[in-house]
Amino acid sequence: MSAPDTARPRRRRRRAPVGWWIANAVLVLGGFVMLAPFLWAVSAALQPSGEAFALPPNWIPRHLTLDNAKQVFDFIPFGVQALNSIVVTTLIVVGSLAISCLAAYPLARLEFRGRDAIFGVLLASLMVPTQVTVIPVYLMLRYLHLIDSRAGLVLPALIQVLGIFLLRQHFRSVPRELSEAALIDGAGHLRILFRVVMPSAGPTLSALAIFTAQQYWNDFFWPNVLLTSPDKLTLPVGVYSLQNLYGTGSPTAIFAAVSMIVVPLLILFALTQRKLTEGMALVGANR
Amino acid sequence: MTTTLPAARPAAGTARRPVLRRRDTATAYGFLSLPLVLFLVFLALPLLVTLTLSLFSWDTFSPPRFIGLANYREMLHDADVGQAFLNTLLFTIVTAVLHLILAVILALAINRAVSRVLRYFLRTAYFFPLLVSAGAASLIWLYMADPSFGFLNYYLGKLGWHHPPNWLLDQHTALPVLIAFDVWRTLGFTMVIVLAGLQAIPKSLYEAARVDGANGWHQFRHVTIPMLSPTLLFASITSFVGAFQIFDPMYIMTQGGPGNSTLSVVMEIYNAAFRDFRIGYGSAIAVAVAVVIMIVSFVQLFLSRYWVTYERS
Repeated sequence: MSAPDTARPRRRRRRAPVGWWIANAVLVLGGFVMLAPFLWAVSAALQPSGEAFALPPNWIPRHLTLDNAKQVFDFIPFGVQALNSIVVTTLIVVGSLAISCLAAYPLARLEFRGRDAIFGVLLASLMVPTQVTVIPVYLMLRYLHLIDSRAGLVLPALIQVLGIFLLRQHFRSVPRELSEAALIDGAGHLRILFRVVMPSAGPTLSALAIFTAQQYWNDFFWPNVLLTSPDKLTLPVGVYSLQNLYGTGSPTAIFAAVSMIVVPLLILFALTQRKLTEGMALVGANR
Repeated sequence: MTTTLPAARPAAGTARRPVLRRRDTATAYGFLSLPLVLFLVFLALPLLVTLTLSLFSWDTFSPPRFIGLANYREMLHDADVGQAFLNTLLFTIVTAVLHLILAVILALAINRAVSRVLRYFLRTAYFFPLLVSAGAASLIWLYMADPSFGFLNYYLGKLGWHHPPNWLLDQHTALPVLIAFDVWRTLGFTMVIVLAGLQAIPKSLYEAARVDGANGWHQFRHVTIPMLSPTLLFASITSFVGAFQIFDPMYIMTQGGPGNSTLSVVMEIYNAAFRDFRIGYGSAIAVAVAVVIMIVSFVQLFLSRYWVTYERS
């Protein structure tokens, strides 16, 4: 960046190409540095354990092997855990979106006693950080015999106040005339919710879905605390458990497990990148 | 927040409103029943329970014992908790600052990147670590920073640094490594938000500044930063709140060590409640954490009036 300068009113409009190319080169280098840990992990996972951690690293494997990946399945029920992750995340996303819509509709479109108070309380809860509720929720789940169950993971996650807030904002923007016309035609409010208000909420819903999915797919704390049986674990904790099972020795199996999570994600992300990042920005900007 | 029917409505519409309101209440609570139950059971009630539990001593085997503020008093003298707060504050402040600076630089650069392909690659590279769970990413870093497995110290050696520390086992470097890890992993999120804010700045403002004779730096200082300030405020608060709750990397990579140098407050809650079975004490720590987060958020919001400019419509 050039020094502050007011004595020279006329300045070249276009940036010096050379400087810009250097900056871009540095950025690209930075990008590779960002991805380096993953590239290393994937490449090490494909190499036999003797070579995987050679120094300097063989960024391009000299010998390829799938043994490490096979080992993962010997140690942990990886397939089941992947399924658990997918099922739990899907249930949470779908469930929380439904609950948020149910809550957002009356808050946005109906007039009733206590509406402002309820909305105020919900808003206030956004300020409360999550750890404050961790202990009691755990005790509650224990009381309900939901420890070590996937339902125990899903249930507390169904209430997403951020989702209620965002959807309410969106629902308010749908013109009153539309729902009033539907009312005159004899439609019940549930139908109004589905047919009148929700159809235009596509972008908001998908942004929320992506945001929530990312959060809970990666959640480590809750599955770690709640689940104990290996075949109930979700991927983050499952992969971590490899660390305990494997302990010392060549951690190629761990890297294989990590790669099996990372590579599909990378492909998925590369394909949906624009939508994903815009979605998360939408959620962020609307808070 | 009352709504008014459009003026063109005939009188029949106005006459109907009181009836609607009564019916609406029942409908509204019908809709709200499930969400409110979930809210009460999993958010409101637990909050109250934590506050209450913090006044008790309970190990979940014997009945709870009321001990008043004894947990809080113990907390004030607890060196581990104090260290945890210090670590977490340091961690949070440094990551927040790094986030803001790097995200702005990155967003600016990406905004003017040479080609679409480049922009696409940059966005992917910087955003991707966020999508991988902290669990998986932490494991990679754990081995990457290890002198015998990882390449980090190897390449540092090549660059001239011949005896780099054993990063995660040295109490002076463990926390910085975790800071680097967190920035690496979550920078994408901050960057995307700043990028969105940046792209929302009307080009006309830059034109006007250019006409007035402002050069690049001036434009940055007088157009970009002020217009970006609400976004930066949001990024700053989010960064802070998120970083304060950091748990996963510490748990996976260092377990709070070496020598408590990477102990975070959430780890202390976890240790107290789930490792030592001291429910009351853990709850007290949780309350303290919540209070600190809320105070700092309010302070940030309060101070924001001095540096944040909102668009005048």
